[in-house]
Amino acid sequence: MTATELENATKTFKFSFPTCTNEDLLFKLEVPVEIPYPGSTRELVQRILKMFHIPVYLEDELNEKLADFVSEETRNFHHNRDATLIDQLKNNELDLEGIIKNWEKQFKNVVDFAEQKGSSDEEVFAAAYHKLVHSPALETILQVESAYAKTVMDMIQNRDDDIRKLTKRQTEEMEEKIRLLNTSTTEEEINTLAAKHFEAQSLATGRWDSQLDALKHTQRAEHRTWLMNAINEYQTEEKITPSNSPLCSYASLPPAPAAPATLLEESFTIHLGSQLKQTHNIRLVCADMLDLCARDRTDGGLSLSLYSSELSGAVVVCEGRPSRSPLTSLPRVTDHHFPDLHDQLRRIEEAVADPAETRNRSRGERESRRRALRAGDVFVTRHSNLSQHVVFHLVADEDELRSAELSSRHRAVLGLREVLLAAQRNDVASVALPLLLRRELGEDATAAWCLRRAELVLKCVKGFVLEASAAGGARLKTLTAAVPREARALFPALAALLPAVFRVAGPLRPRLPSHEAPRPRV
Amino acid sequence: MEDDYKFAASTFFAKNHPGETCGSNGLPLTPSSITILGRSQRLLQIEHPNLCTYLDIIRGKHERIIVVAEVIGKALADYTTKFSYEEIVNIATQIACGMKLLHDGDIIHRTLSDDNILLDSNGRVKLFHYGMFYMTNEGKEVPFPLGLPRYFSPEAIIGGGGPSADVWAFGIIILELFIGKLWNNLKPSPTLRRILTLVHSNNPAERIAREHYALDAYKGIPENIRGIIEKCLRIYPSERATFKDLHSELSIMNTRTPSEIKPVRGLMGCKLQYLYHWWQLAGGDIQAELKKNGLIKNSPPILSMPIAILLDGPTIGGKTGALFDRRIAKYSLDLLKNRLSHIPPSDFYPLMHERRRDYEAMALPKIIRERDTEYQFYRLLWFQRLLHGYPYTAQCIRSEAEIDIPPLVRGDVWAALLGVLGDIDTHYERIDKETPTHTDRQIDVDIPRCHQYCWLLCGAEGHKKLKRLLKAWLLTNPQYVYWQGLDSLTAPFLYLNFCNEARAFACLTAFVPKFLHKFFLKDNSAVIKEYLAKFWQMAAFHEPQLATHLHDINFVPELFAIPWFLTMFSHVFPLHKIVHLWDALLVEGPSLPLFMGTAILRQLRDTLLDSGFNECILLFSDLPEIDIGECVKESIDMCRSTPKSLSYRRFTNEPEIKDPMVSGVHLGQHELKSLGPQSYKVLVEAVRMNKIIVVASAEDGTAQLFSSYLVKCMVARVCVLQGGVAALHTHVPSLFITQRKTAIK
Repeated sequence: MTATELENATKTFKFSFPTCTNEDLLFKLEVPVEIPYPGSTRELVQRILKMFHIPVYLEDELNEKLADFVSEETRNFHHNRDATLIDQLKNNELDLEGIIKNWEKQFKNVVDFAEQKGSSDEEVFAAAYHKLVHSPALETILQVESAYAKTVMDMIQNRDDDIRKLTKRQTEEMEEKIRLLNTSTTEEEINTLAAKHFEAQSLATGRWDSQLDALKHTQRAEHRTWLMNAINEYQTEEKITPSNSPLCSYASLPPAPAAPATLLEESFTIHLGSQLKQTHNIRLVCADMLDLCARDRTDGGLSLSLYSSELSGAVVVCEGRPSRSPLTSLPRVTDHHFPDLHDQLRRIEEAVADPAETRNRSRGERESRRRALRAGDVFVTRHSNLSQHVVFHLVADEDELRSAELSSRHRAVLGLREVLLAAQRNDVASVALPLLLRRELGEDATAAWCLRRAELVLKCVKGFVLEASAAGGARLKTLTAAVPREARALFPALAALLPAVFRVAGPLRPRLPSHEAPRPRV
Repeated sequence: MEDDYKFAASTFFAKNHPGETCGSNGLPLTPSSITILGRSQRLLQIEHPNLCTYLDIIRGKHERIIVVAEVIGKALADYTTKFSYEEIVNIATQIACGMKLLHDGDIIHRTLSDDNILLDSNGRVKLFHYGMFYMTNEGKEVPFPLGLPRYFSPEAIIGGGGPSADVWAFGIIILELFIGKLWNNLKPSPTLRRILTLVHSNNPAERIAREHYALDAYKGIPENIRGIIEKCLRIYPSERATFKDLHSELSIMNTRTPSEIKPVRGLMGCKLQYLYHWWQLAGGDIQAELKKNGLIKNSPPILSMPIAILLDGPTIGGKTGALFDRRIAKYSLDLLKNRLSHIPPSDFYPLMHERRRDYEAMALPKIIRERDTEYQFYRLLWFQRLLHGYPYTAQCIRSEAEIDIPPLVRGDVWAALLGVLGDIDTHYERIDKETPTHTDRQIDVDIPRCHQYCWLLCGAEGHKKLKRLLKAWLLTNPQYVYWQGLDSLTAPFLYLNFCNEARAFACLTAFVPKFLHKFFLKDNSAVIKEYLAKFWQMAAFHEPQLATHLHDINFVPELFAIPWFLTMFSHVFPLHKIVHLWDALLVEGPSLPLFMGTAILRQLRDTLLDSGFNECILLFSDLPEIDIGECVKESIDMCRSTPKSLSYRRFTNEPEIKDPMVSGVHLGQHELKSLGPQSYKVLVEAVRMNKIIVVASAEDGTAQLFSSYLVKCMVARVCVLQGGVAALHTHVPSLFITQRKTAIK
C-alpha cells in the first residue's frame, strides 16, 4: 500500500534423516523455499520425495516438518518486515505526513468518510426529465420541444434569407462599381466598398448569431423551469399531463420533413465469438456521416433513451482542432440538456492541451502545435439536439487516410478501437462509423481502393468488438457502417463484403420435423 | 424480526486499469473484477459455525462486484446495550475461533470491525464478509482502502501487516466492548495519528484507555481478559498472541456453554446454498434490493461521458470512481417460503426406497426445468439424498441423471457418473504439477484461448488451475501426448469443480478412457479414422440423403468433425451447452457422440443440402447456433434405435458386444456402380414403416454395393450383416429357414 513492498524471501529448508545402516550417519537435505509459499506444502513434499529418492516412510514426517517450517518462516517474514517498519517509525525515518495524507486521500473514496455531496443540478434535471419522458407527459414534452425547435429553425431560415439578400445587394453594388471602374470610380473606392461590405456582413452575422444565442438561452431557461415545475406537479398531484406549458399554442405542427432521398441500406445479424456467440446487428448505409448526426426527425426515441444505458453514438473523422469540428456546420436547435456545441468544443480544447503536450513530449515529437491533438486521438461531445446522443470525433490526417496503405496498426484505426472500447464502457449501444474513414471520396478513390479499405476497417472493427465484449460492459448492439454517397455504385459489392467478413446468421428456414424424412425413391 | 434475514449483499467497484490495457504477453490485462471473482471462489467453500458462509460472488456491468453471504442477528455496532463480562468473553471466544480457521487457511481478515461481527439472540457470533482483503488481492484490485481506521494496527498503517494485524484489531474490539467506542467521531487521519503515537508506549491498551478518560473502567476489567487485551495490543507483531493461543485461553475462561440450538426442520433446515438457489429461482433479485437501498445508483451514463481519449495517453473527463459504500442490503426468504408453503413436511425428507415421483414439470424442456423452483426443490433434495449414499446409490444416480441433473450439484453428479471414488486428493497431491516440461509452451499458448468468455476460466486463477490439471494429466498418462483440444476437454470439469482440482482431475482421468480411448496417442490417425468412419456410417444410417449429398460433394468428416470428437464438442460449443450435452453423454455412454454429430448435421440439414463444398467449409469453420436440447433428444433417440453393434468400434474400452443377431455390421458408400436390383415390395414396406433394413449377402462385397445403393436412394436405417447370411446361421441356426438374399428384420 503505502510503504515499500518487501521482496519475498527464499529460505532454506533443512532436513536430515539417518541412513539405514548407520544411525549416526545422516542424509542431509536442503531445499530452498519461497516465503510466503504460494502453493501447497504437501505437493512440495511429494516433489522432494521423488526428486531426492527419499524413502516413503518419511513422508508424514516431512509433511509435518515442512508445513511447520513454512508457517514459522512466514510468520517471521511478516514479523521482521513489520518490526523494521515500526523501528523506522520510532526513529522518525518514515515520511509520516505523506503516509497519513495518502490514507486521507484514499478514505475519501469511502462513503463514511467522504465529503457529503448532493446530486448535481445535471443529475436532478436528468432524473426529472427521464421520469417525465417515461410518463404520459411524453407527448407534451415532444410537442414543446419541437415548437422550440421550430422557432430556432425559423430564425436560422430568416438569418440565411437576410444574409443572402445582403450578399445579393452587395454583389450588385460591387458589379455596378466595377463596371464603372476607370470611368467614375477609382480602385481605392472599390477597396473601401469591399471593406464596408465585409463589415456589414460580419455585423449581420454577428447580430443574427447573438439573437440566436439569446433565443437559445431563453428557451433553455424556460424549458428547464417548465420541466422542473412539471415534475413537481407530476409527483405531487399525480396529474396525467403537465399543464401551463410555456407556449400557448403548439396545436398542430407540420410533420417533420421526410428523410432526404431514399437511403441505400442493408442490415445483417452477425454472431461473434468462437464458442459463445454474441449477436450484433450490422447496418450498411449510403449516407454522409453528418446527415446521420443531423436532426432530421423528432420521434422522441432519442429523448426516451437520452438518460438510459442504451445510447447511440457516431464517429466523425476530423482534424486536430476541436473548434473546427465538422458538426459546427450543422444547423442546430437549442440543446436543453448539454452546453452548446461551441462551449463543449472550447472546453475540450482547453482540457486536452496539457495532457496532449505531455503525451506528445513522451512520444518525442518536437514539431509545432505541440499542445494539439494528434491522429488517433478522440474527443467526445454530447447532444440532445442531434440524432446521436454522443459524437466521437476521431482525429486523423486527411492525407494519410487518402493513402492506399493503411495498416491495422495505423493511429486512425487504433483510435477507432478506443472509440469502440469507450462506447462499450459508457453504455453506447449503437455506433455509426464511416466505413472508409473518409467523409468524401476524391478522384483517387477507386473501387478497388474502397473495397480494400472497407475490408480492413471491417476486420479491425470485428476484432475490436470482440475485445470490447470481453471487457464486460454494455453490449454493442448495432453497428452502422456508412459509406459516402459517391460510393453508391459500390454498395452491392460492399454489401457482399459484410457476410464474408462477419459470420452472418442464416435466414430462418422452417425445418421439417426430423421423423418425416423425405420419402425414398425406390 | 432480525432473524428473518438469512443473507445479505454488499457491492463495490473493482479497479479500472488505467490507459492502455495490455499485459506483457500482448493479451489484454485481466480486469480486476475477474481476478476478484477467481480468488473469491475459494471463499465460497468455507463453512464454519463462526463464519458467515459466502453464497455468491456476482460480477455486474462495469466492473461491479456483488458479494452475497449469510447473515444472522445484527452487528455488534448496532447493539446499544453494554455487554456483561460473560457475554464479552463468549463473543471473544467465538471470534477467535472463526479467526483461527481463517489464519490456518492463510486468509488475512484485515477488515475486522464491529460492523461485520454479527451476534444473534442465542449468543451465536459469526464474522461477516471476512474475505474482502483476500478476494481483492490485499486490496490491490479495488480503488478504495479496506477496513476502518480505528482498527488499523500501527504496522498496517505504515505499509506492513500480516495476520497479526488482525490480532490487534481483535484487541481493539474487545477493549471497545468494555470501555465504549474508541476515537469516536474522529476523522481517519487524526485516528491514524493517534494509533501511530502508541508505538512509543509500553502499554498501548492502557494508554488508549487513559486517552479516553476510561482508565478506571479499564482497571475494572477482570484481570484475565485484560491480559488478553494487552497481549493483542502489543506494538511489535511478534509479541502479540496468535488466535490459536487466544482461542484456547478464552475457551477456558468462557463459562457459557454454547446454548444448544435445536436443529431446524423443514425449509429452514435445508442447506443455505440450496435456499439461496431456490430463492433466486423463485424470482429473488439481489440487485433490486441493492437499488432500493441506494447501494446501486444508476447515474445516467451520458452524464459521465469522457470528453477526450488520447491514444497512448489518458482519458480526460468521464466517470469519477464511485464511492465505496460499506452498507449491506439484507434479504429474507419470505418469497421462497410463500412459494413452497404448500409442500408437506414429509417431502423435505425423501426416502430412498420411495417410488420415483412424476412431476408436472417433467414434460418441459430441460432449460425450463432448471428454472422451476418447485421442481428444483424436489430434485435437489432427492439428489442430495442419493449423493449422500454414493457409491452404493451409483445405479440410482445414473437412472435419475437420465432425466436431468440439478445444475447446483452437477459437479458431484458427474463425478458419480464417472465412478470417481477414493482418496482423490492424496492421489492428485502426489502428482508433480510444477516441474517444467516441453509441452508447457503450447499449453501456455492455448490456455488464454480456451473458453475465455467464461469469467472463471479467463482469470489468472482459472489459467493456473487449468495448467496444473493439464500437466497432471499428461504426467499420469505418459502413453499420450498433448493434442490441442485437451484444454477444451478439461475446461468443463474445471468449470464445475473450480475449487476442487482433485475431483476435476479424477473426472478427466475417468472420462478419457471411457470416451476418448487412444485419441491422445502421438499417432492417433487410426483411431480418428475409425471414429470418423463410424460417424459417417451413422450419418448414412439416419440421414441417407444428407450423407449422400456430402459424399458427392466430397465434404468428408475429416474436414470438420475431428475437433468435435477429439474434444467431445467442448471446443465447438459454449460451456452452458456442453454441460447439457455431456449430461447425456455420461449417462448414455461412449456411442452417443456419433449420434450427436449426426444430430448436428440433421439440424443443419437444409443449409447443407443447398450448399456446395466451399459453403460447407465456411459454414463449419464457425458453427452456427445449434439447439442443444433438440440435439440431445434426437441423438438419444437415434442411439437407442440403432443396433448396438452398429456403433461398435475396435478402439474402445467397452466390452465387446455379444449380441448374436446383428454382430459387426458395416456400412460404407464406396464407388457406386450401377447395380440394378429390383425393388422388393417388402423393402418398400419396411421403409414405410421405418424399420431397420439389414442387408445380408453371401458375399460382403455385394452387400456393400447394394446397401450403398439403398442409401443413395435415401433409404434410412440400412445396415449390413457382416459375414452374410452364414453369420446368422452360426448364431441362431433354428431361425435359419429362408434362403432369401435380403433378410428383413
